[in-house]
Amino acid sequence: MSGENEMNDKEQGNPVLVIGAGVAGIEASLLLANSGRKVYLVEKTSYTGGNVIKFEEVYPNMDCATCMISPKQQELLANENIELLTLSQIAAVSGSSGNFSVGIKKKARYVDLENCIGCGACYDPCPVEVDNEFEEGLSKRKAIYIPCAGALPNVPVIDTENCLRFKEQDCQACQETCVFEAIDFTQQDEELQLKVGAIVVATGFKSFDLRQTTQYGYGKLSDVYSAMEVERLLASNGPTQGQITLRNGEPPASVAIIHCVGREEKGYCSSVCCMASLKLSHFLKKKLPEVKITQFYSDLCIPGKAYQEFYEEVKESGVDFIRATVSEVSQAGKELALKYATEDGQEKTLTADMVILNPAVEPGVNSTKLAGMLNIPQSEDGFFSEKEPDLTSIATAQDGIFIAGCAQGPKDIAETVAEAEATAGRILSLSR
Amino acid sequence: MAKRIGIFVCECGTNIAEKVDIDQVIAAVSPLKDAEVVERHKLLCSEAGKDFLKQSIEEHGLTHVVVAACSPKQHEVTFMNACEQAGLNPQLFQLANIREQCAWVTPNGEEATDKAIRQIRAAISRVRYHNPIEKKEVECSPDVLVIGGGIAGIKASQLLAAPNRKVYLVEKTSSLGGKTKSFSKLFTGMDSGLSLMEQELESLKANENVEVLTESEVEQVLGFLGNFEVKVRTKAEDEELSFNVGAVILATGFELFDPKELPQYGYGKSDDVYTSLEFEEMNLPGGPTGGKILLKSGKPPQSVAIIHCVGREEKDYCSKVCCLYSLKFDRMLKSQLPQAKVSHFYSDLCLPGKSYQRFYEQTLELGIEFIRSAKTEVTPNGKGTTIKYETETGSKGESVADMVILIPAMESSRDAQKLAEMLKLPQDGKGFFVEEHQLLSPVASAVEGVFVVGCARGPQSISESIVQAEAATGKILSALVPGRKLEVEVRTSEISESFCTGCQTCILVCPYGAITFDEAKRVSVVNEVLCHGCGNCVAACPSGAASLKHFTFRQIYQELKEVLQ
Repeated sequence: MSGENEMNDKEQGNPVLVIGAGVAGIEASLLLANSGRKVYLVEKTSYTGGNVIKFEEVYPNMDCATCMISPKQQELLANENIELLTLSQIAAVSGSSGNFSVGIKKKARYVDLENCIGCGACYDPCPVEVDNEFEEGLSKRKAIYIPCAGALPNVPVIDTENCLRFKEQDCQACQETCVFEAIDFTQQDEELQLKVGAIVVATGFKSFDLRQTTQYGYGKLSDVYSAMEVERLLASNGPTQGQITLRNGEPPASVAIIHCVGREEKGYCSSVCCMASLKLSHFLKKKLPEVKITQFYSDLCIPGKAYQEFYEEVKESGVDFIRATVSEVSQAGKELALKYATEDGQEKTLTADMVILNPAVEPGVNSTKLAGMLNIPQSEDGFFSEKEPDLTSIATAQDGIFIAGCAQGPKDIAETVAEAEATAGRILSLSR
Repeated sequence: MAKRIGIFVCECGTNIAEKVDIDQVIAAVSPLKDAEVVERHKLLCSEAGKDFLKQSIEEHGLTHVVVAACSPKQHEVTFMNACEQAGLNPQLFQLANIREQCAWVTPNGEEATDKAIRQIRAAISRVRYHNPIEKKEVECSPDVLVIGGGIAGIKASQLLAAPNRKVYLVEKTSSLGGKTKSFSKLFTGMDSGLSLMEQELESLKANENVEVLTESEVEQVLGFLGNFEVKVRTKAEDEELSFNVGAVILATGFELFDPKELPQYGYGKSDDVYTSLEFEEMNLPGGPTGGKILLKSGKPPQSVAIIHCVGREEKDYCSKVCCLYSLKFDRMLKSQLPQAKVSHFYSDLCLPGKSYQRFYEQTLELGIEFIRSAKTEVTPNGKGTTIKYETETGSKGESVADMVILIPAMESSRDAQKLAEMLKLPQDGKGFFVEEHQLLSPVASAVEGVFVVGCARGPQSISESIVQAEAATGKILSALVPGRKLEVEVRTSEISESFCTGCQTCILVCPYGAITFDEAKRVSVVNEVLCHGCGNCVAACPSGAASLKHFTFRQIYQELKEVLQ
């Protein structure tokens, strides 16, 4: 009995560390914090919302993702139990369930979170211009910037790799413009030491690098796009304010979408790409009703109660589905030519103005380093491994460490949120 | 009592002051009735700004406050908290958004100033009619009712039950374990579902905070988050139990689509055509064949056909787990009958996730045939069955099999309809319960405090069902902390007893089930704990009996009048 009490005392009310402030990290943090727990939410970028805020609309109801998640982001910032550490990464982890010690490296933002009101007056005077990673390089940003309109916290960050001050030049353009004296070059990178009882890993995904495939011409043929690039073109807060255009500025008359790019290399089905391709078709048709769309796929994987209807709707809107393997994409005059082979061995060619490649889903950057620090095994593809794959996807081999969302494997938003809630369930049930 | 309204105009650095002439605004609103004090501040949301606001409220004994600043999304809560800290009821506050709705979107300075004046006049005019609605808290029960004793219900019960939280687990059949106990193997680890369930039931038995009620049915669930009154009828003792809980989890599972509805598959016509569940049961050590895969003749089959997607077209959805468990069947067949020919007839292989493609590839190595077929027909041929199939491109083929395993679609449980009516839960066109939000709140239902997990919300794997049970646990443990009261929405709607004609239109449009009909008085009544203040009932009420406490007709009229004047 005394042993049990001791454990209760140890774990009761212990703070929780959540790694990654995407939709999973936000949901887990909110549930834990609302129960009364202190939460440290560590995010490597300067903003919350992860990959989800890159999507203008999400299947199957075509909700605006940014609008959908924004109340949660606001709630997160307002919640007194949550300490959001942006620009931060895990440096070291020791201890065990109920008693972890975590070292955090926190980069300086050089903009004061309290004083800044997010008016954006500092961007214009900045003389530096570089590719905006958030926009897949489709637009430029300054050295002081927020990734996109509506980012939260709505406070810019200074990119020390490009800011002239960090290249030993005496530029004070942003500082001179800010009437709130929010820009503070005296800020220093910090190292923090946290004591937590449990850890949630919600480090999300990145896309398979399309440059690893050569047959589709990505990076060489200008109108071959990644799905994420098209997501940003479709976004009203994106580089073209939602205009879908080819590199020459004209709207495409025909689009080909290729599924499963990288599936063979990775050896798994990324589970969300069929639906994501259907969504892109749906969205393109809405923006350009006359556009001709062809989807190249091998097996349609549209699991779940609501997706088949979505597929039928897209099909009825005039989208062609061809079960075939595309072997090559090449320039054919102004258009792109797609050479493909159907299952019964016929070789054919189709031309299109735009080709969209839907890449496999991979674990987020630095997953292997983090897995090492947490001492959690990974699958051969680098996803965090669950302890009992057939029973629950969220518990790891380490007691007190849980995984949620695409850190564990490719999955959609609903599954990701359910897993985040599940980690909160397991952690809160531990303490009684 | 005389009204003393304080008006605070924020410059927001240059964000507002650059476009809006603050001096002109102050000159225009100062003479207005009850304007006790009109102040400007460089940045009202700063610590200094909030202190200034609080001091002014106390110093001037203000009864109402108007702040003209940014969007309510940004700082309404900030300023309401400052009012409260200064001893003023936060509902006696109104924010005029002169940044996003004015300074940032009105290029012409004169027009912006005029617009800001109108917005502030409207806010003053409105705030005068605000009522000091008091915050409300209700006691709540931490206990939980779990309906359905399958894997999801059992897992949720185990996680939730604690010395300060009782769980009632209600199961309509005579034993717990649901469908999982009929699975001799689980994909992908090929462990026994039966043994898993035996272990789970052992640990459930040891948990004294779970009350298991088998052969029982829930007859009534009335109430709201934190306070549900439940009645359960137990068949064995024929008694009715009543208890209170704070939350309800529905884990009512699934049924299989009945293949008799589709005569082309020969189910019921040919002896050796089985459903997937019948095949699972055949493999159980305690099953009719002692776990041996045998034809009705008692001989082992030499060829087996597995037909996917039976009923998919009729149900109009993919059941998600069938491809995976049919691969599991391959392994079960090949381990007992290495020589048997196994063929799949399928349209699309759905193997979502990081590990299933490998499971498929390893299964292929056992020598399994996959035939892509758009149309499949099973007919008895005297010895066994003939399978005729047609590919997408129209070419036809034929094959024979001693045994056919049909993989039918998964349907919602037969009890779903009854429970939906009892709990006022919306179902989709397919009979599955609808989520609060399909993506952002997947295990909560439209009724606050009622959660839906596992196949009750659509086809799921065992692991997904368990995750969802854990998710509902997370939502419940977060919201219902023993000893903590629940704070409820104050800006709710109310229905005037004297104006209500009893037409019940409001009940139809309320998405939260917050309005009930008082049969004795013949009027609709709002449950303020359930009401979210959406205003549907107010808009729909034909007799003007429904009103929102913070959006009364008078408040809105006064506000509009000043904007448009």
